[in-house]
Amino acid sequence: MAPSKRKQSSEPGVIPGGFTALSLKFKADSGSCHAVCVKEHRVRAEKNSSRPLDRTLFALNIPPYCSEHVVRELFSQFGPIQSVELREKPGTTDPKESKLSKYFTPAQKEGFRVGYIVFKNSSSVAAAKSHPADMPLVVSTEERPVRTGLQKWVHQYSQSLVQPDKLQEVVDIFMQEYDKKKEEESERLKKEAEQQEEDGEGWVTVTRAKRGTKARPHSEVANQKALQKEDRKRKRKELLNFYTWQHRHTQREHIAELRRKFEEDKQRIAVLRAQRKFRPY
Amino acid sequence: MKRKTNGSATIDPEKEMEEAASSHSEGEDEGEDDGPTGAKRKVTETVSEDGVLRPLKLTRGELYKPPTAEELNQLKEAESLFHCSLLKMQMEELLKEVALSERRKRLVDSFVLKVTELLHTVPQTADVELSDLSWLSGGVKMPFLLVPKAVKGKFHMAPPAAVSLIGSYPLGTCSKPRVSVDLAVTIPSAVLHPKDALNQRYPRKRALYLAGLAQHLSSSPDIGTMRYSCLHGNRLRPLLLLTPPDKDSSSVTLRLHACPPPGFFKPSRFHPQRNNVRTAWYTGLSTEQPDAAEPPTPHYNSTVLGDLLSRAHLQFLSAIASQCAAFTEGVALLKVWLRQRELDQGSGCFSGFVGSMLVAYLLSTHRVSNSMTAYQLLRNCLHFLASTDLTENGITLAKEPDSTAPSLSEFHSAFQVVFVDPSGHLNLCADMTANTYKQVQHEAALSLQFWDDPTLDGFQALLMTPKPMIRTCDHVFQLCGLVKLQASCKKLNLLSELMDHSGNYVQTALPFILSLLQRGLGERVRLLTHSLSPDPEWLVDSEPPKHKDQPPLSFGLLLNPEIAASVLERGPPADSPKAAEFRQLWGSRSELRRFQDGAITEAVLWGGTSACQKRLVPHEIITHLLQLHADIPESSVRYTGGVLDELIRMGRETCSTGEEESLKVVQSFDDLSRKLWRLEGLPLSITAVQGAHPALRYTQVFPPVPMKLDYSFFGREKVSRALVPQEGKPCPIYITPVKVICHMEGSGKWPHDRLAIRHIKAAFHIRLGELLTKHHRYTCHATPTHLDICKDGLVFRVQVAYHREPQILREDISPEGMLRYRDNEEAQALEMETLHRPYLTSTLHGLQPQHSSFGAVCRLAKRWLGAQLFSGDISEDVADLLVASLFLQPAPFTPPGSPQVGLLRFLHLLSTFDWKNSPLVVNLNGQLTAADYTEIRNDFIASRETLPVMFIATPKDKKLSIWTKSGPSVQMLQRLIVVAAESLRVLEKQLMDPSQTQDVRVALRPPLDAYDVLIHLNPKQVPLLTQAVDPPHATFSRGTMPGSVPSCGGALPVIDFNPVGRYLAELRDAFGDLALFFCDPYGGTVIAVLWKPQAFTPQPFKTSQMSARRVEVTGEEARTVPNVEAILEDFCIMGEGLVKKVEPRSERWVV
Repeated sequence: MAPSKRKQSSEPGVIPGGFTALSLKFKADSGSCHAVCVKEHRVRAEKNSSRPLDRTLFALNIPPYCSEHVVRELFSQFGPIQSVELREKPGTTDPKESKLSKYFTPAQKEGFRVGYIVFKNSSSVAAAKSHPADMPLVVSTEERPVRTGLQKWVHQYSQSLVQPDKLQEVVDIFMQEYDKKKEEESERLKKEAEQQEEDGEGWVTVTRAKRGTKARPHSEVANQKALQKEDRKRKRKELLNFYTWQHRHTQREHIAELRRKFEEDKQRIAVLRAQRKFRPY
Repeated sequence: MKRKTNGSATIDPEKEMEEAASSHSEGEDEGEDDGPTGAKRKVTETVSEDGVLRPLKLTRGELYKPPTAEELNQLKEAESLFHCSLLKMQMEELLKEVALSERRKRLVDSFVLKVTELLHTVPQTADVELSDLSWLSGGVKMPFLLVPKAVKGKFHMAPPAAVSLIGSYPLGTCSKPRVSVDLAVTIPSAVLHPKDALNQRYPRKRALYLAGLAQHLSSSPDIGTMRYSCLHGNRLRPLLLLTPPDKDSSSVTLRLHACPPPGFFKPSRFHPQRNNVRTAWYTGLSTEQPDAAEPPTPHYNSTVLGDLLSRAHLQFLSAIASQCAAFTEGVALLKVWLRQRELDQGSGCFSGFVGSMLVAYLLSTHRVSNSMTAYQLLRNCLHFLASTDLTENGITLAKEPDSTAPSLSEFHSAFQVVFVDPSGHLNLCADMTANTYKQVQHEAALSLQFWDDPTLDGFQALLMTPKPMIRTCDHVFQLCGLVKLQASCKKLNLLSELMDHSGNYVQTALPFILSLLQRGLGERVRLLTHSLSPDPEWLVDSEPPKHKDQPPLSFGLLLNPEIAASVLERGPPADSPKAAEFRQLWGSRSELRRFQDGAITEAVLWGGTSACQKRLVPHEIITHLLQLHADIPESSVRYTGGVLDELIRMGRETCSTGEEESLKVVQSFDDLSRKLWRLEGLPLSITAVQGAHPALRYTQVFPPVPMKLDYSFFGREKVSRALVPQEGKPCPIYITPVKVICHMEGSGKWPHDRLAIRHIKAAFHIRLGELLTKHHRYTCHATPTHLDICKDGLVFRVQVAYHREPQILREDISPEGMLRYRDNEEAQALEMETLHRPYLTSTLHGLQPQHSSFGAVCRLAKRWLGAQLFSGDISEDVADLLVASLFLQPAPFTPPGSPQVGLLRFLHLLSTFDWKNSPLVVNLNGQLTAADYTEIRNDFIASRETLPVMFIATPKDKKLSIWTKSGPSVQMLQRLIVVAAESLRVLEKQLMDPSQTQDVRVALRPPLDAYDVLIHLNPKQVPLLTQAVDPPHATFSRGTMPGSVPSCGGALPVIDFNPVGRYLAELRDAFGDLALFFCDPYGGTVIAVLWKPQAFTPQPFKTSQMSARRVEVTGEEARTVPNVEAILEDFCIMGEGLVKKVEPRSERWVV
């Protein structure tokens, strides 16, 4: 976009709350625009090092046909871009998932998304924010057409055909790493176990290790099982209908049960009567 | 029961009961006993306004207070007699509903009084010839078909000798709706002649007398409309129907019977073997025959006798009723029971009068005691009916019949059903056919079965559910053009019977047609029923309708599913004497055949190769027999047994409804599972191979069919040479992947980490694919989530499962280091996929051999759901479960024996089930006991609010209803109920009303005016286009060609590529918060969009709710509304190439 044009156009669409609305069109001849709201990224404590506070633009309402690549193209007019990250909801990412290969990343919802656009220079953020509202960004142009609809699905289908050897390779790499990690872990445990064993003179080093091999694994299920076992043991010892008071008690319970049923039935009838459910025809 | 310490409080419960029992008196005597009212107040407190059951809370004091003897008795009785006191209370409520109110009774009494006064003022007229009708003026016609016309005798009008109430009203058994009060008008003896019983003279005089009364009454302002009718369709016994004028006209109908003075005729004249209609007179031919050769006229005789004895019957019944307190209520219940089964009206019905007589019979023979309750009377009646065959062993109410009375055997030789009245002369069931009685018996036996089943709501099944023929019988056919039956009478040589029925050829031919069909259908049907022709009604100034004018006769078949569809009718050996009989029955269709066991027998072979053709063998039999023996052409038989089959027909040319194709898929799967089991070289062994797809339980609407592919139509992937769709060509044929779950052995080798398990599973998919390609040359394609296997032209999608994976997904370490399990969506989804769905599939698969129409019903039901755009809300599994419930708990019907009746009952279930207050229990494999049912019910009521709106419990899932968790919503369920009711109405009307054109597809065309936007799709890109309800004429080449499919090898086809599905998923992802999207998955070319109203109210600006919205700034405030113009454009952009047109229909979005 030429800077001269920007001068002619009117004010950028500013919204209370610090956002600016940029309009976005799919094609140059499209009739209506989406409003993409942008703002400098600002959170109280950003742990994520990939989103530096001064250079990151936070964008809302990015239509589903804008991939990361398209967003990069669109916003590069405001300055060189370092990275683009699109997400369903604002928030931080789980670093573990991001490391996975493309075959194993779970499919994302293809809806409207929020984006974190990291520029190389902090001035670009301001440039984007001051972009006028009546100069829409255009997603698909002659030079870089964006696939949608049937074209996209046919492309997707071809992409989904996985080569077994490539997949196998990915699996092998992952499993090797996993095995290595496992080994390290067991190594560590072994070391801890060794520490707890008696040394030649009968001494045991007592450490503050969290989970020794000898310590029972604490789990909820095990806890409950133990409690239930106790219960059952107690029940087995109990005598039923042995003393007269117990017998009386059972009878009383029986009558109470009948009464409860009777009351329930009455209630049910009342409901049905209210709904006029007794008209046979 | 608020007062606990008070002595009177302890006897509250039975006061409650009494109050419930007292049907007439308003119940609450004001004054000291505030107990009942207090209790009532409490009940209304627990019942909320919206009619939802809440768990009941009783205080300890109320539960454990000392019981009194009465209360104990009450509770004990409720426990032992009824499953619970509920049934008893329900019946009492029902009785209150049908009983006449005091106001109504006063109205009836005053009207009767008025009419009686009027009747006594009938003027005397001069004597005229019987055939002279000129004295009738004012347009009043004689309610009688004059066949033959000439008759001798004199007639004049005279005031009645007596006017008295007879029938149900004076007995107190008259019940709503259609309150009709019978008034007997005694013709003075001067008008009659002792010989009048001969040659229809008496019936004609009776008709004339009624006409005379009508003429007299027509001038009175106290009478509303006057119509004629006839008693139980018998044209010899016309009635004059009177209604009060104006606004009360619908509240009561007064039926005037004319009858002879008591004892005017000698009952012995009407012996069933005596003749009272002379052939010479009837035919008009003066053949000189001795009197003895005249054929007996038992039906004619019993009509005259019925008039003669009506007062005596009333006296008899009142004497019985005065001894038994519950008589009237018992009869009322029996009448409701009969009415729900359409047995209580029309010619040859089991009327309320016969019902009262039956109760009287049971009382007088001491089979029931006078002190029994209404509930017990009904039960004993049903038991008696179920166990006694009145067509073989008739019963009589006559204690000591006089010597002239006929014997039971004489009755049996003249009538099909025998139940003799107290006088010993009249058969009360003279007009009833044996088939009607068999139907009564069948219904009674069925009802008792339901009554004893503790898992059922017996009350609903017995007394509240109507059983119209179309929903009860598996196949139904109608005889249209009843005039053809005249020819049948001639063909069957029924002149004397026709004379006996005084020219009513329909009633004459009916028993013979029935017995003919019964013989022909034999073991194929469990029950052959027919509709009872309704009593005609016509205005007094119009001619009586002809016999042929009555609505067509309907016949219902309850099929014996194992035999009904057999194409072979094997007869006796060629040399046995029965062979001639067999040949006579089947005519030219019978031929000698030699069978594999060496026997040479007569046999009939019917056409039909596919299941849907075989289902119609009864149709073939019926048309053949009717044509051969009764001269009824095929064109007048309107058979509705397979009309709905065309909805699930596979393709246009084939005449199969998918049973065969389903079977092929299942067989191919069985073969695959065997091969998987035998695979060697896997690191872990396979423990189970389970199907998890509707096609593997015979319920896929259009089961996958192997197709030979035209490779030139497709593009190729570069490396694997797999086929890929090409842009610019029509969408290739859709190939359904059939989901299969393959459980691997548990072992220490499995990693204990969710990501690692995912990778290991991918490795398994690759390995399985390699082995299958190596050993069996199947084309396979492994992905991280599944393995596609092409086999026999079908594609199986195998997914490896590890049984501990859901548990591992649930694992979570608490901050204290305690290992705990937390449920999450991911684990639930996985469990659903690998555990619940395979189990459901195998269980439902087991239903098919037991009920051969199960699959077809499921498929019809799902076709309907799809066409009405409910597929997104009612998943396939839920639909199958709903249909399964129809088979597992058919009360009050029998399990559906044809797809048609199954669909009708499915719609009925949807439209009437009370989802708000009751769980639908599907007792798969019969694993649930009565105790389980109660437990499910209690759990359901205790946590109704948190449970899904549609609650379906199965043996494996008693508390959560996992299948309906994700939908439907309340609004969608409501709509479903409305649409189902409407579809049911339309379908039943079409199937039963011959004047309607049969286009059952009407019920599958959804109303589209309720939607806001319609997205029209390009049919070229809709792969399942041929499955549409109205498939377009244009067809597209989708890359298939004729020819057989090799069982293995070949390139990987395009699997599971459906642009419509992908488009819908994208739309829902993007705009799911703003709108709902509906589409028929079976070839629908329209996507209907409904905006969500709450999304269109302006909302304050929020970063989390900004999708597809636009901001409106007013001062300091920023509000967002959906950006509709952009969204509509997005619909086009996202469906580029698929969308033909986006049509906004409402202006609602201009907020």
